[in-house]
Amino acid sequence: MRATLERVSPARARRAPSRPQLTRAGVIVVLLLFVLFGLPQLLSLYYIDTMTQVAVYSMVAVALGVLVGRVGLVSLGQVAVLAIGAWVAARLLFATTQPYPLILLEAGLITMVAGLLIGLPALRLRGLYLALITLMLAGAITVVLATVNFPNGGHGFLGYNGSLVHIPPIRRPSIAASDPAYFRYSVVVAILMFALVLAHIKTKPGRAWAAIRQSEPAALAAGINTWFYKLWAFALASFITGVAGGVLAGAVHYLYSIGFPTQDSITLLAVVLMGGVYSLWGAVVAALLYQFLPSLLNNWGVSADWLIILFGVGVLQVLTTAPAGLADQVPKDLARLGRLLVRLVRHPAPSAAGAGAADGGEGP
Amino acid sequence: MPSWQDFQPFIVSGLALGGVYALSGVGLVVLYRATGVLNLAFGAIGAMGALIAWSLIQAGVPGWISWLACVAFGGAVTLGYGIIFGPALAKRDPLVKAVATIGLTLILYGLMDLLWTTSGGQARSLTLPTDNSGFMVGQVQVTWTQVIALAAGVVLTVATGAFLRFTKLGTAMRAMANDREITATLGVPVRRVEAAAWLGSGVLAGLAGLLLADLVALDATTLTFLVISSLAAVLIARLRSITVTFVAAIVVGLLHDLLTPITSLTNYRDMTPFVIAAIGLLVLSRHQVMAQSREEA
Repeated sequence: MRATLERVSPARARRAPSRPQLTRAGVIVVLLLFVLFGLPQLLSLYYIDTMTQVAVYSMVAVALGVLVGRVGLVSLGQVAVLAIGAWVAARLLFATTQPYPLILLEAGLITMVAGLLIGLPALRLRGLYLALITLMLAGAITVVLATVNFPNGGHGFLGYNGSLVHIPPIRRPSIAASDPAYFRYSVVVAILMFALVLAHIKTKPGRAWAAIRQSEPAALAAGINTWFYKLWAFALASFITGVAGGVLAGAVHYLYSIGFPTQDSITLLAVVLMGGVYSLWGAVVAALLYQFLPSLLNNWGVSADWLIILFGVGVLQVLTTAPAGLADQVPKDLARLGRLLVRLVRHPAPSAAGAGAADGGEGP
Repeated sequence: MPSWQDFQPFIVSGLALGGVYALSGVGLVVLYRATGVLNLAFGAIGAMGALIAWSLIQAGVPGWISWLACVAFGGAVTLGYGIIFGPALAKRDPLVKAVATIGLTLILYGLMDLLWTTSGGQARSLTLPTDNSGFMVGQVQVTWTQVIALAAGVVLTVATGAFLRFTKLGTAMRAMANDREITATLGVPVRRVEAAAWLGSGVLAGLAGLLLADLVALDATTLTFLVISSLAAVLIARLRSITVTFVAAIVVGLLHDLLTPITSLTNYRDMTPFVIAAIGLLVLSRHQVMAQSREEA
């Protein structure tokens, strides 16, 4: 019924969202309000810090998700890009008294330029070669950072002074000096970045990316400037990761090059694949896996190595059986479990065989 | 600028390092050509093998059994992974296959960190008896381990090249590199040939791990991610030519160590493989901008 109505007047249907859409939007708003105002009240400082990291890495994950899930470009160097963003933001924060949002924007834009400089030559490569060259570049950036170091309030272009005794912390915005306030601040920035990604996916670039992911020659034949849209995706991902780096700089106060090892880029790709690259929720799941679970295990006294092993198993599982990741798999599994329970309650034992057959028909 | 005298020892160590990179590179290329899998877990497998060898030696097991255990572990783990995940991913893009080996890398890396904790602070080291004996070339001390490393690189490159060219199994592997389906139609036992490639590559991983543990450091993180350096050589060879892999590996190893005495560049010497790979790839890619392989289509 609803479907036929929509077919008659697509324009009106677009203006008036359907009920499930409204429900979903309502749930998201309630969830965000809870995260912004409820969560900081409930959590200890330890977990508030952790959740700030989750907000930061959800931005990194959503950027990587755009590359991997939407366009089909695998980058193994995203943590190096995050380090560039953090470096630029820290340098600007020490050098200027500009307001924080402006600094974040600048960090994003400068990181974007750096990403474009890398992307321009690298995008001539494809598939495996592109992934490996990003890994190589990440390795090179890590080596440079280890020598250059993060700014610590020193002078000169690099802003590093190795003999500084009292290192000033990287400042935070005046409205978000405390940890709970900074958590809210980073969530708001993350929401803006997610909205930016959503705006891209729903419009022309998103459709071009989808075409490129399906088949690049076909996209080319359809008149899509594949080179331009791939570069655009690269630029967008670098921008968001750069902004995330800026938020990270304020969150931790002190930055060290040892905090951005090349292998983190590899782990990050693993969790992003596990979370799910085809939905924005996947980025949130990935960030929770990457930052929240280690804190939780640390609190319980369990070694974080188990988590690394879990991530390894997760990657293999995602690639062999569940390409859309946890964000897709868990709701499906829960729905299936729910249906199974409902059936079991309605008709006990005798019709179990029938239920099994129906389930088999709906399989993935 | 340092004098020629200062560079001499680094030529020797650079050649040795290049030899092991070549060894790893050959292992990676052979597997890639036969199965389409770029094994990013190569370093992790070697590292775990080396750590097992270390533990065995600590427990009083004779050295040569421990070294064999290291090589056998490399072969067994790689073969096991290949048998379980090889067929499941056989029809997927090379990129997916490579990312899947990241899963194995993380599992092994987590296990190593769990079983051989580094928090104790005691540095482990694996020494081969060939470390202490050597000879002098001019004024430079050369250990037999360094000779073995370079020789292993040379011998294995030549032997693998000959194997691929002249033996039946090698021909089958080359055929599969071209087209897996057609090769299967021609009656080649595809699974068995792939298993052989996995096993051979795994043995090379164990060997490389053992040599690198001695030449560089016995440390899970270092050894696991040292594979990135040998990847540089493999990339320049476009994952195909064993000869180019060998030459590139030697160049990477030599340049890396020769930068050590130059004070202004010594901090940047670890960038060598990445920079060489990046330049090499970008120059090579100019000639085939839209070339698309069958697997990617």
